[in-house]
Amino acid sequence: MDDVFAQVSVLGASGVLIFAIVVLWRHGVMAYISAFRWQSNVLAALTAAVAYFGHDRDLYWVAALMVVVKGVAIPRLLTRLARRVATSREAEPFVNTATSLVLAGLLILLAHAAARPLLEMSSAPTRAAIPLAIGLLFVSLFVIVSRKKAITQVIGFLMLENAIALLAVLATYGVPLVVELGVFLDAMMGFLVMQIFVYDIHDTFDTVDVDALNRLKH
Amino acid sequence: MDVTGIVCEAAQAVLGLALAPGVVGLIRRVKARLQNRRGAPVWQPYAELRKLFGKDMVVSPNASWVFRAAPFVVFGSTLVVYLLVPAFITPLPLNAAADLFALVYLLLLGTFALALGGLDPGSAFGGMGSSREMTIAALSEPAIALAMLSLALGAGSTNLGEIAARTIANPLAALSAGHVFAFAALFIVMLAETGRLPVDNPATHLELTMIHEAMTLEYSGPCLALIEWASWLKLTVFFTLAANLFLPWGLATSLTPAGLAIAAVTTVAKLGVLAVAVAVIETRIAKLRLFRVPELLAVSFVLGLLAVTSSFSVR
Repeated sequence: MDDVFAQVSVLGASGVLIFAIVVLWRHGVMAYISAFRWQSNVLAALTAAVAYFGHDRDLYWVAALMVVVKGVAIPRLLTRLARRVATSREAEPFVNTATSLVLAGLLILLAHAAARPLLEMSSAPTRAAIPLAIGLLFVSLFVIVSRKKAITQVIGFLMLENAIALLAVLATYGVPLVVELGVFLDAMMGFLVMQIFVYDIHDTFDTVDVDALNRLKH
Repeated sequence: MDVTGIVCEAAQAVLGLALAPGVVGLIRRVKARLQNRRGAPVWQPYAELRKLFGKDMVVSPNASWVFRAAPFVVFGSTLVVYLLVPAFITPLPLNAAADLFALVYLLLLGTFALALGGLDPGSAFGGMGSSREMTIAALSEPAIALAMLSLALGAGSTNLGEIAARTIANPLAALSAGHVFAFAALFIVMLAETGRLPVDNPATHLELTMIHEAMTLEYSGPCLALIEWASWLKLTVFFTLAANLFLPWGLATSLTPAGLAIAAVTTVAKLGVLAVAVAVIETRIAKLRLFRVPELLAVSFVLGLLAVTSSFSVR
């Protein structure tokens, strides 16, 4: 049983990680939003699987909330945001696609190296997937720093939030439901604040390209 | 190798050569139906082969022996690869030679020979096709090596028969992240290596986009037939690898009539499923710009890397 659990958790975590890599590969904000939607749904499925194998009833609620908030509500708001600011379909990155994919691979290797001491401490069946969660953390940070459009950076931030949720589920079978609710609220608030910022940047500069903010200096 | 072994390998070679045009015919037929065309019958590729073998050959006066030898090298190397792949029975009589790395580089030998054949007559299109083919081959090699490495790590051996046997013995392995991502990586590489969409369009002779067609432009008659047959066989090799390394159930592990019958039916069914899958994918996506092909292969590389790292961490 633990064998199946270990395989399922690695498979699910890899699935979550893949959708961050999709963001590096695809061009266009709509593709990013659907990648985020799928990532959240896979994460929710993994959470439900951990709930089933780890016999933790609260995690089912967390999984359901994840689908509602990150799988439906935030992607819908993001779509509206993308339409309103009518950002160009192609999001120009600072680093070109092939290089950023290879860098993502290197970041995942780095995560494996970084997670080594963590793995030796843990004895949970899910521990093999922990490096993947840390890899997702690095890759989503990379998405944030390598993209110019504010809206893509928001998606990178949301993926970072998913990475932390993934790490919590894998390392400790999730935090108490109350804390989880607080985190959801935080993520939602953070997103709403960033949404207002994106609108403001767009209204002031007629673009959401953060590179253009350099003009403020002169 | 005794007489039974020779008969087994010969039977596999004949079956592979007989099935390969059918697989391509099925892909074309399904694609045509999905695009609301009636399409040619499934056995059309067999008729094409017969027609080409009956024709005379025209060879450019600039061509050297390389041009004449290339089709035989391509055909021979692909056929040898097919003899090593566990298509119906495992372990094969030639299993000792069926190493993953031997297999990858035998396939590359064929690619290399065909690229030389494209360059040799000195036509502009041939050279262009060869240069593109080499670019793609160089980029897909690391991805395929990583995907293979992840399979080998899971099974503890780079031997094809061993990998299939391990997966049969431990069905859970087919669900492991290493297997799933290695399959995805191999699938992308397969599309690139066999000249399918989104890398190359097998249905057109449009000069700006073609890769495989550009290299074979100077060939005619029986030589063209050999090259086409080899490229169809290569597709079948990749399909068989994808089917029987990742989902090896149905393979005959001993030479009983019932086992062989089951193996024949399941293998043909798996080939059919993969052919339909490729046809559906080719209908749904457009060809990538040539400059975006490296990005696709980089995705395949990252998938391979993920497969290797997760096989390492699950071990």
